[in-house]
Amino acid sequence: MKANVPRRSGSGLGEAAMVPVRLVMGAVDAPLRWVQRRLGIGGMATFFLLPNMLIFGIFVLLPFFINFAYSMTGGTALFLPDRTFVGTEQYARLFDCVNYADPNSCTEDTFWTAVGNTAWFVLLQVSLMILFSLVTALILNRDLMARSFWRAVFFFPVLLSPVVVGLIWKWILQRQGLLNFGLYSLGLEPHTWLNDRNWSFAATVGVSIWAHMGFYTLILLAGLQAIPKDLYEAAEMDGTRPARAFWRITLPLLMPNLLVVVVLVLIRAVQIFDEVYVLTGGGPGTSTLYLTQYIYETGFATQLRNPGLAAAASILMGVVLVILTLVQLGLGRKGENKGARK
Amino acid sequence: MGHIKLTNVTKSFGAVDVLHDINLEIKDGEFVVFVGPSGCGKSTLLRMIAGLEKPTGGELAIDGKVVNDVPAADRGLAMVFQSYALYPHMSVRQNLAFGLENTRMPKVEIAERIGEAARMLEIEPYLERRPGQLSGGQRQRVAIGRAIVRRPVAFLLDEPLSNLDAELRGSTRAELAALHARLSATMIYVTHDQVEAMTLADRIVVLRAGRIEQIGTPLELYNRPANRFVAGFIGSPHMNFLEGTLEASGSDRAVATLKGGHRLEVPMAGGAVAAGSPITLGVRPQHITLDAGENSIPAKIRLVEALGSETVLHADVAGQKVLVVAPGQHDLAPGADIRLSLAAAPIHLFNDRGLRLERAV
Ligand SMILES: Nc1ncnc2c1ncn2[C@@H]1O[C@H](COP(=O)(O)OP(=O)(O)OP(=O)(O)O)[C@@H](O)[C@H]1O
Ligand SMILES: [Mg+2]
Repeated sequence: MKANVPRRSGSGLGEAAMVPVRLVMGAVDAPLRWVQRRLGIGGMATFFLLPNMLIFGIFVLLPFFINFAYSMTGGTALFLPDRTFVGTEQYARLFDCVNYADPNSCTEDTFWTAVGNTAWFVLLQVSLMILFSLVTALILNRDLMARSFWRAVFFFPVLLSPVVVGLIWKWILQRQGLLNFGLYSLGLEPHTWLNDRNWSFAATVGVSIWAHMGFYTLILLAGLQAIPKDLYEAAEMDGTRPARAFWRITLPLLMPNLLVVVVLVLIRAVQIFDEVYVLTGGGPGTSTLYLTQYIYETGFATQLRNPGLAAAASILMGVVLVILTLVQLGLGRKGENKGARK
Repeated sequence: MGHIKLTNVTKSFGAVDVLHDINLEIKDGEFVVFVGPSGCGKSTLLRMIAGLEKPTGGELAIDGKVVNDVPAADRGLAMVFQSYALYPHMSVRQNLAFGLENTRMPKVEIAERIGEAARMLEIEPYLERRPGQLSGGQRQRVAIGRAIVRRPVAFLLDEPLSNLDAELRGSTRAELAALHARLSATMIYVTHDQVEAMTLADRIVVLRAGRIEQIGTPLELYNRPANRFVAGFIGSPHMNFLEGTLEASGSDRAVATLKGGHRLEVPMAGGAVAAGSPITLGVRPQHITLDAGENSIPAKIRLVEALGSETVLHADVAGQKVLVVAPGQHDLAPGADIRLSLAAAPIHLFNDRGLRLERAV
């Protein structure tokens, strides 16, 4: 009864703030009622979702299908209507290999080099990223001095644009960069880090970890802080050694957060591009050429651009990402069910 | 086995002094309850005994051995946390086993101890469940079970019943008492519920603002509270306090004038307090009768709460509030004038600093 009576009293400021709201509500009320009469209550859900679906459709679904269409065409023409339909020829070309482990035996050897590089990169970067961010989170979760300062320090690189990250490290690592200057000043032998196959690979791994670690550390830290302190006190009363407390209490209770982090790190590692492109440009040679760069260069940046091939490669990469994500979500769900049944 | 002694123990968190000069001796097998208002330092005291906090000063000894620097695990104590602190990802069985596995105890013995504790606490049907799949009461039993399997010299319990509903709290309280009788281990129990304290304790330690106000058996505290604070804290509803002045004191009786001018005879040895001193009279609501006889004072009824078996009267005596719990049912209405008799009541007297004044007898 009372709820229907509009509240006349209340602070002047609150009232003033409500004025535009009331105006808008008044204006949309009649048309929305009309729509609801036409669509029914159930139809309203669709109606309200429509704007979002439209945006998703135009900017995600449509490009996906266009990309798929491109992957079925050949030639160098940029616009779809000018291109010739070639069926699965581009895919066949990507997979045309004598020995998949040896890129040189493939028609599209740079693709397989990029695949191999990306695989190594993902393996190394993901495991080190998880390890470092977990260790950092564990340390930051302790009662150490100036804790919020350290948290900020580790999170700061996340705020930088990948291009800035790439440039900063290029200035440090290039031939006449900061690192070599430091070594030289100390009387040590400078090294051309980015011209060395192994060092530049290591640099891409290290720099991408440096740039993104803070974000994952934050997720893990939130998970650690959600674990009740008294669990550790109970464990302490029982004489639990710290290592056992970590494996039996911390890790299982952190698992949901850890899984999220693994999925995110993995997806981003497979997609690695910006900071590496700025830092090494894929070099020296093709030693740090990763999949996204291959796709970009094949499609847009070479003399003989081949949008069809690039589209096919990106579809393949998408498939790999979807499979990886499904496997991980499946593993997570299985873990949950197992836990619940126990 | 389970003898705990605290000598001049203090505790500060940074600049904040939380506990001052605590002296306390807990005998083997005793059930000791710490009570006091929120924030008075009960948990801190318990956690210090447990080894989860380090005393800032003083000495803490268990069975004659100073344990100030002994880690929690080596003190032979087990703690039941207010939140239960059960490991949510482990089954009840794993929860019970976890602490024992640290000691490299043979599997057979672990299973044996778990079986015994589960039988004692009637949690056998839930051993394979996880804490999230148990009710509050069941979880609470598991928490106690986890302490029992350790066979500690003393149990430390921090408000173990506060998360249970009233009915369950009552029955679990009785079970705890039975458990104590059966295990005959030392138990230290923290609560701010004085009914729990009265019913469970061999001895109660009343704390306020980091100091021990009084230590004694429940009835000692009830019958001879050492000061106004203890008098007001123990007993329900709270004791009535009437402010007044000591008029004249005879050899074994004295007369007090209450604020508002009413005179009451109080039992007190002559000369304990000079005539004219301010004084506080303490009378429990249950001890006041609705009589007009000797030693009675006029009062006006403000509120009547009829509970059936008894009637709670909120009365006003010349501006001072008085609560009366009268047995049975009374046909009284707010606004009525009555007389309250203190003839049969034990009257507690406190001086202007709130300390108890001893009676003549
Ligand atoms: N780690 C800490 N750092 C600083 N102050 C603390 C800390 N732990 C407790 N205190 C302070 O010590 C005092 C006593 O706390 P304690 O937890 O022992 O109270 P309590 O008697 O158990 O209260 P409650 O009945 O509410 O549980 C409180 O004033 C509290 O603010
Ligand atoms: Mg407490």
